[in-house]
Amino acid sequence: MSKYELPKKFDYKDVNLLKEFITETGKIIPARVTGVSASNQRKLTRYIKIARFLALIPYTDMHN
Amino acid sequence: MKKYETVIILNPNLSSKVETFIKEFEKLLKQHSFSINKMEDIGRRQLSYSINNHNKGHYLIFNIEGDSLQLIDIENKIKYNESIIRHLFISVKEHSGEDSQLLIDSKNKKSDSEDIKEKGDEKKESNIKKTKKEETTDEEKSSKDNKEEEQENSDEITKEESKEEEKDE
Repeated sequence: MSKYELPKKFDYKDVNLLKEFITETGKIIPARVTGVSASNQRKLTRYIKIARFLALIPYTDMHN
Repeated sequence: MKKYETVIILNPNLSSKVETFIKEFEKLLKQHSFSINKMEDIGRRQLSYSINNHNKGHYLIFNIEGDSLQLIDIENKIKYNESIIRHLFISVKEHSGEDSQLLIDSKNKKSDSEDIKEKGDEKKESNIKKTKKEETTDEEKSSKDNKEEEQENSDEITKEESKEEEKDE
C-alpha cells in the first residue's frame, strides 16, 4: 500500500501522481484495488477528469 | 469576489508571440476589474492527444481574483480567439502560492538537458564512490543486526520459559 500513499494536498497539475491511478488504457483504477480512501478517490476522479480535458493525461490509448 | 485558476493552452506555432498575448490578456482582466495574484509560463508541452491537429501546446496558468459575472464576459471574448486551443476556469478556495508541479517539471527538463552534457562524467565517478560506501555500511549493519537478533531471541526464550512456569503454578 505504501505505493499509493497520497500527499495532503494535490491537484490536477500533479500529473505524475495522477498517472499512477490510471491504467495503461487510461481508465481510472477503482479504489478497491488501490486502497485509497473514499474522499481521496473522489478528489482523484475529479482531478483526473480535469487533467484529461487539458490534455495532460490521455482519455484512452486509442488517440491517433 | 471569488478566486479562480485559469489554464490556457496556446497554439504552439505562435510561441514567439506569447508575451504580447500575456499583456493583452492581463489588460482584458484589468478591464473587468480582475486582480492577478500569480502567472506561470510553463512553456511548450507535449499534448496527450492532438487538439485541432496540434501535438504540442504552450501552457499558461493564471491565479486570478474577481467577480463571477465579469468572468462570463471574459470567457465570451476568449472563445473566439483562434490562438487559444483550449481554456479552463476553475474556482478554488485558496491559491496555493507555491509553484505548481507542472512548472517545476518543465524547469527540471530544461536544466536536465543542459546538465547532461556537463555533469555526465562527474555522475559516473560519484556513483562509483557511493557503491563502495554502501558496501562497507551494509557489512557493518548486517553484523549489528545479527547481534540484535540473537539478543531478541534469547529474550523471547526467557519470556516463554517464565510463562510456562506461571502455568505450572
